[in-house]
Amino acid sequence: MNDSTAVLFDIYHGTTHDGPGMRTTFFFKGCPLNCLWCHNPEGIEFGQQIWWNHQKCIGCLLCMKSCANKAVTPDETGIHTDKEKCVLCGSCVNACPAEAMSFVARQWTLDELLNEALKDREFYKSFNGGVTASGGEPLVQHKFISKFFQELKQLGIHTALDTCGLAPEKAFEAVLPYTDCVLYDIKFVDSVLHQHYTGKQNTQIIKNFTNVINYKKEKNKELEIWIRTPLIPGSTATRENIGQISRYLAAGFKESIDRWELCTFNNLCVDKYKKLGRKWMYEGVPLMRENDANMLKDAAMQEGFPSEKLAVTGMILHE
Amino acid sequence: MSKLKLETKQRFEINSRLQKLITRSRELAVSGKRNLYTADEMQIAYHWSDKGHAIAPQSGEWVQREDRLSLGDHACRVDIGIDFPKLNEIPSRIDGYKADAESWGRDFAFLLEHSPAEIHPYESIVGEFHWEMNEIRKYDFGPEVRELGKKARQAGAGGTSHGHTCPDFSIGITQGWGGILERINKNLAKYERLINPNKVTYLKGAKHVCEAIIKYIMNYAEKAFELASGEKDEEQKALYKRIGECCKNIAVNPPSTFYEGVQWIQFAVMTDRMVGHGNGYGRIDQYLYPLYKNDIENGRLTREEARIYLVEMFLKLRGQFFCLGGRKRDGSDATNEVSWVVMEAYDMIDDYNNLGVMWHEDMDKEFYAYVCDVLVRHGAGVPSLVNYDLIVDSELRSGVSEDDAWNVAYSGCQWYCIPGKEYCDQDTNAVVMLDPFNRAIDRAIKENFTDFEQLYDCVIEEFKRTCEVLCEFKDAQYNMLPKVWPEVVTSLNCHGTIERGLDMTDARGVDYQYTSTNILGIPNVADSLYAIKKLVYEQKMYTLKEVRDAVANDWRGNEVMRIRFLNQDKYGNDLDTVDSLYVRLTDSIAEVMDNLRNNRGQQYRASLFQFQGHTCVNTFGATPDGRYASEPLAHGCNPTAGRNKKGLVSTANSLAKAHNFKFIGGSLQIELQPKFFDGKENIWQYVRDFSLAYFRKGGMQINLNIIDLNLLKDAIEHPERPEYQNIIIKITGYTARFICLDRIFQEEFVGRQNYDG
Repeated sequence: MNDSTAVLFDIYHGTTHDGPGMRTTFFFKGCPLNCLWCHNPEGIEFGQQIWWNHQKCIGCLLCMKSCANKAVTPDETGIHTDKEKCVLCGSCVNACPAEAMSFVARQWTLDELLNEALKDREFYKSFNGGVTASGGEPLVQHKFISKFFQELKQLGIHTALDTCGLAPEKAFEAVLPYTDCVLYDIKFVDSVLHQHYTGKQNTQIIKNFTNVINYKKEKNKELEIWIRTPLIPGSTATRENIGQISRYLAAGFKESIDRWELCTFNNLCVDKYKKLGRKWMYEGVPLMRENDANMLKDAAMQEGFPSEKLAVTGMILHE
Repeated sequence: MSKLKLETKQRFEINSRLQKLITRSRELAVSGKRNLYTADEMQIAYHWSDKGHAIAPQSGEWVQREDRLSLGDHACRVDIGIDFPKLNEIPSRIDGYKADAESWGRDFAFLLEHSPAEIHPYESIVGEFHWEMNEIRKYDFGPEVRELGKKARQAGAGGTSHGHTCPDFSIGITQGWGGILERINKNLAKYERLINPNKVTYLKGAKHVCEAIIKYIMNYAEKAFELASGEKDEEQKALYKRIGECCKNIAVNPPSTFYEGVQWIQFAVMTDRMVGHGNGYGRIDQYLYPLYKNDIENGRLTREEARIYLVEMFLKLRGQFFCLGGRKRDGSDATNEVSWVVMEAYDMIDDYNNLGVMWHEDMDKEFYAYVCDVLVRHGAGVPSLVNYDLIVDSELRSGVSEDDAWNVAYSGCQWYCIPGKEYCDQDTNAVVMLDPFNRAIDRAIKENFTDFEQLYDCVIEEFKRTCEVLCEFKDAQYNMLPKVWPEVVTSLNCHGTIERGLDMTDARGVDYQYTSTNILGIPNVADSLYAIKKLVYEQKMYTLKEVRDAVANDWRGNEVMRIRFLNQDKYGNDLDTVDSLYVRLTDSIAEVMDNLRNNRGQQYRASLFQFQGHTCVNTFGATPDGRYASEPLAHGCNPTAGRNKKGLVSTANSLAKAHNFKFIGGSLQIELQPKFFDGKENIWQYVRDFSLAYFRKGGMQINLNIIDLNLLKDAIEHPERPEYQNIIIKITGYTARFICLDRIFQEEFVGRQNYDG
């Protein structure tokens, strides 16, 4: 990996769910976890991918005609790309008039990303927001993030790291000095459940978490720490799980934690799975009811986590 | 089920008397009695139509009733569905029509004389009318102007002149109609002595008008006393008596209390609207404040009483354009307690309103927080948020003196005005940018342009040609205007008109007489030019002739090509590639306008707004931005609906890139679904912080609706359902009850689905 460029799969401007205030969220590609509910499935693989958008496709088949390797074939279910034959040359992407065939990833230089960040500077100021590095797992590209955050800090822009926690310790060490806020995912305290739903145990995640907390204490740094727990029906969104996380956080960390967000499940990513040609087991799952979300919040409070630091965020079902 | 609107709690209690007035006002609106009409799509697009022999754009009365299009419950008058009963006895029909202010004033006096004083039970603020001047008096500029109008239309421009300015009510509210009349008499005598027949004729007209207004208000006083004498209920009797005393005083004298002040405004606006135009009425918190302060200090008034008087006035006037905030002459914040009370009055009743708040860095933070809170809770685009310092700059750039510019008032959809000192055709002229653009394409093909720069220069050259034809037409109109349609009523509350013996429409009648022109379709032309630049001139994938032919055919048989054009970068996504072309185009437009003079020697000014022209589907052909002829154009400086895909912040960034101070208005129009705010804490703070950033970046105005457009679609088919009766939206620059709009406007509105969560 060239340290002066990064691989991203998206940039969202004006986000309000990825840290304090209004932010620009940069989605870095590549993630060591494989959560069953993953909302950014195109962010898991580090490498390039081509995907096909059935909603944009006008059926002109110029993609098929342009492919020298005959990797693109249509059938009644849509356009398929044979991963064995595809060499990611992009001729189908260039041929497509409708932007239905497109690359998932794009390389960005540091300057280009800084320019994207600066576009929204006035909004960071009025909303007390800034930039969030998300993903994927941004720490997969920690060398770049470290430089990126360093530059942003020099420009006086607030930085937030949205991490799943699974990364080498040195990755955190490289990024934390330039980070104002860590958004740390804690999905399960139970390592077996963690392994089951995300594909990896949480030993390293928990270790890194205590390191981050200790870093904040030792350096006496003004590091905001937000815990985020996705509320996934049938897996994380149980009273037992939330209660267990609450006990864990309350026991040793509650003074160091600034906020714990319970992020309600949404199904906005359903089309992403279609575009990738993948099945998603949460496809038909409805949004959460406000009452159910609040019940989990109550569970968190009952197990000792301070209520004033607790928040339910995300979409809810309006009945 | 998602929500049509955000749920809001009632802030202020409404007593039973007020509830009766609200119910009546809503019944009038829902039954179509407050509708304002426009002629046809040509009128909307070009602000000038061939239909009919004359123009009465505000009432649309000269069009067959079934042909006219409803702009919503926008009218000040109550339409009782019958013509003015004394139509055949109008002085100009009996004694002969003369194109001068005296003849005009006589007709106006006759209209007032035969407009009955109407006082309804429970009211404390009174006044209603049914007929407007443009229905009873010929409004015809003659064959020469008509011919030039056709020529302008063919070149892609049009326009008319009818009000759309802002009187200065601080004049009348301190001098009273009697004081104004005294000044008329004094100057009339002066010009008689100096033998200046033109000025004498004008001032005689002004005298007719002013005396008629005094008499009209006296009629209300008499009517109120008459009702009082026959009334058994003591409370109602007292109310009638109070109305009588108030009208009796303010017919001649300046108002002495806040109550009288509000009633004075009610009559001043009504008589102004009886002329039939679209004026704004200025900085109400400034000119009402002395009366408010005096009453409060003397214990004659409570804040709640003041609020209720304003509520009553809003219900009757259909929330004409008033503005709040801004700065004082010394640069300090002008926000005062009346600013609050006016805002609270809207908050109390919701309903139809067109307030604007002029924000600046030094504005009372608590007040601006309340403003954003009100805007969010009602979700109806009220108030419009306006960047005061930027509109001051825009006025300064035109040449308005520093001494006047601070007093600027947001006065209509996107425009603003120096009260009592401007007659600038705000919002009444139009250039349809597609016309010069299409001519440039034809020329580029015929003359074999080999690079994009040639095409760009040609677009500007053709735009200039359109403007020159418009200029010729407007000059001819201006020559006729003070004779055919003097703004005598508005001129009574202007600076210098009476002393000069000149109507505000006459050359030098007021100090500032720029010509403002709305430019329709700038984003479409910018997007089209960008797509042509990429696909024709850079990638050479298509020839310009192929593009013209495909567009002329509404892209039939060329879907792949259309999709390619559609998928080029589009304005509104904060992409410098195409946004820079938009900025360049707007700069070029400003430059052309800067160099154009009207026959008053004052310059033209472009506006990045056109109030409804974009809705005229099938009036314009398809465009090389991938747009079908059946799709609406971009509204003003906003991206075409559906083309901005990167969210609200990116769209705002795109709009803010233009040098907005070079233009006379341009509003960012935002429709948000209630679910946009799911999980966001303190919605009002979101709106406040967003507006602050946008304004600091050089944005001019924000109109924000919070409504579920998908659910609102049902109201088109089922306007009778109770849940839709009071759904009010900021359609473009003005608000309207959704069910009162013509279908073409409703369909365009629900199609604005631009921002998700």
